[in-house]
Amino acid sequence: MTERRRERIDRGIKKRSEDVFALASWREMLYLAGPRLLPVALVLFLPPLLSPYWQKVMLSVGVFGLLAVSWDLLAQAGMISLGQALFFGMGAYGAGLLDRYLGMPPFLSLPIAAVLGGLVSTLLLLPVLRLRGIYFSMVTLILPLMLVRVIEATKIFGGTEGLSGLTPWPSVWVEMYLILGALLAALFGFRRMLAADYGLVLKGIRDNDRSVTSAGINIYVYKAQALFIAAAVGGFAGAFMTHVYLFVGMPVFALDYSILPIAAAVVGGPGGLAGATLGAAILVPLSEALRGFGGLRIVFYGVFLVVFIVAVPEGIFSFVRRKYHQFERWVEVD
Amino acid sequence: MTADLLRIENLMVFFENALAVNGLNLTVSEGELVGVIGPNSAGKTTLVNTISGLIIDMAIKEKRKGGERITVYGAVWFRGEEITRERPDRRVRRGIVLCRERHPVFPDSSVMENLKIAGYLRRRAEIRKTMDEVFGLFPVLKDYRRRKAGFLSGGEQQMLAIGMALVARPTLLLLDEPLLGLSPRMQESVMAAVIHLNEAAGITVLLCEQFARPVLPVIGRGYVVENGMLTMSGTGAELMDNPEVKAAYFGI
Repeated sequence: MTERRRERIDRGIKKRSEDVFALASWREMLYLAGPRLLPVALVLFLPPLLSPYWQKVMLSVGVFGLLAVSWDLLAQAGMISLGQALFFGMGAYGAGLLDRYLGMPPFLSLPIAAVLGGLVSTLLLLPVLRLRGIYFSMVTLILPLMLVRVIEATKIFGGTEGLSGLTPWPSVWVEMYLILGALLAALFGFRRMLAADYGLVLKGIRDNDRSVTSAGINIYVYKAQALFIAAAVGGFAGAFMTHVYLFVGMPVFALDYSILPIAAAVVGGPGGLAGATLGAAILVPLSEALRGFGGLRIVFYGVFLVVFIVAVPEGIFSFVRRKYHQFERWVEVD
Repeated sequence: MTADLLRIENLMVFFENALAVNGLNLTVSEGELVGVIGPNSAGKTTLVNTISGLIIDMAIKEKRKGGERITVYGAVWFRGEEITRERPDRRVRRGIVLCRERHPVFPDSSVMENLKIAGYLRRRAEIRKTMDEVFGLFPVLKDYRRRKAGFLSGGEQQMLAIGMALVARPTLLLLDEPLLGLSPRMQESVMAAVIHLNEAAGITVLLCEQFARPVLPVIGRGYVVENGMLTMSGTGAELMDNPEVKAAYFGI
């Protein structure tokens, strides 16, 4: 009786390109560089080909991509955030205030707001760093919703009206390449960071925080750092958007900014940041393309999400990467 | 051949391209105490997971994650019926109950609650009766019955884990490394309990273990597995006398 079994094996080119033979031929080099150059090329050459409307969509991809990268980064350290809107809103309000009250130019207010927003968010979440799992998530979910009410009730920072008439970016192209460049920098930079020892500690905290403590590492310092980095990335996206809309108000704490990054990370495949970026690059344009359906848009969007999660539960990126590196064949089992 | 309670034919289990169990044949008759002895990574846990059906669940979860592909070939027969593809919960209804390794208990529930959860399939009166038996078998558990299971020592947790398997009223009890991490004295009392279960309560036991010293003298028959393959089988005494087993497991 012989039965057959589908076997998965690495492609020869993958093995070859893992060591010095990677430099043996153009084919091997392209195999390694291709997947990394593709997003860079898309970001560089796609925007000029698009209509102004789709250029705005591309901006949104950049913003939500950054938020998704920030979410994935936190998830790598074992902190599941349901409140990316907190980071986004902190950065957005930071930039708005720096612009309105100190008259800072956008290029100055953007980095300062990102860092400040990151700091404030970290300080707000510092007391709950010791909470694990769902408790941390719940606090992050509630904070942005609470801040909206605080602004509404105390009428600070323009209250329900918000701050409008802020300084715009010098040109559409500066705007476009700034956010897309930031997305690429965050994607590749943080991927590098996660692959280094620092990232190893973060992943260790996610897998088993007690073992990491036993190795003599103060996990709360690392968690706070990861939180600051992720919050600063989210704050950057928010500060950038302030100077695009020329307005900052209560909508920056909206639930959309919390939910869509998570959906992007789930569709793309969490872990490794590339999946999260890919997810944002798929979901944001999809949501726009469905606008023609009017009220049914959300229904189609939801159906698409469910179908994807059931059909490719590992995430699109993990699936594609596996197909890229491995092939399958039938072998006989004896 | 229908006299066999459990019969495994040519079982092969692949974890992706790695072969965990390779062409294993094994039988367990009603009322026997059978031991499967082997070193780490011999495939003992995979074997009991396949018998209890947990491997089906693992395969589905791995597939969801996009992880390793688990494939099972061969057949598992229980009382003359093939159950290779049957869901784990249905196998428990048939009486195949697994006590997994590393004494898995519900750490936040008390000892009593743990036993009650394990008796999900049974009626209340039955659970109470078995619980008394368990407390008779492991008297320490009775003293700690209101304590959280997570605060018990390793040995007590192991006793509780066996107790939980008993509450489900097994005909075939699968014990995966029941002696793992226990002191020699604790090992002795656990083994004594297993023997009592087998002889007094008439439960058929399949016991996987890497410590041969406390196990070989008491089992009726034994199998020695290495690298997923059966290397030897025979009665407990035969295995004890085998020079290779002596050298490998007793250091003589």
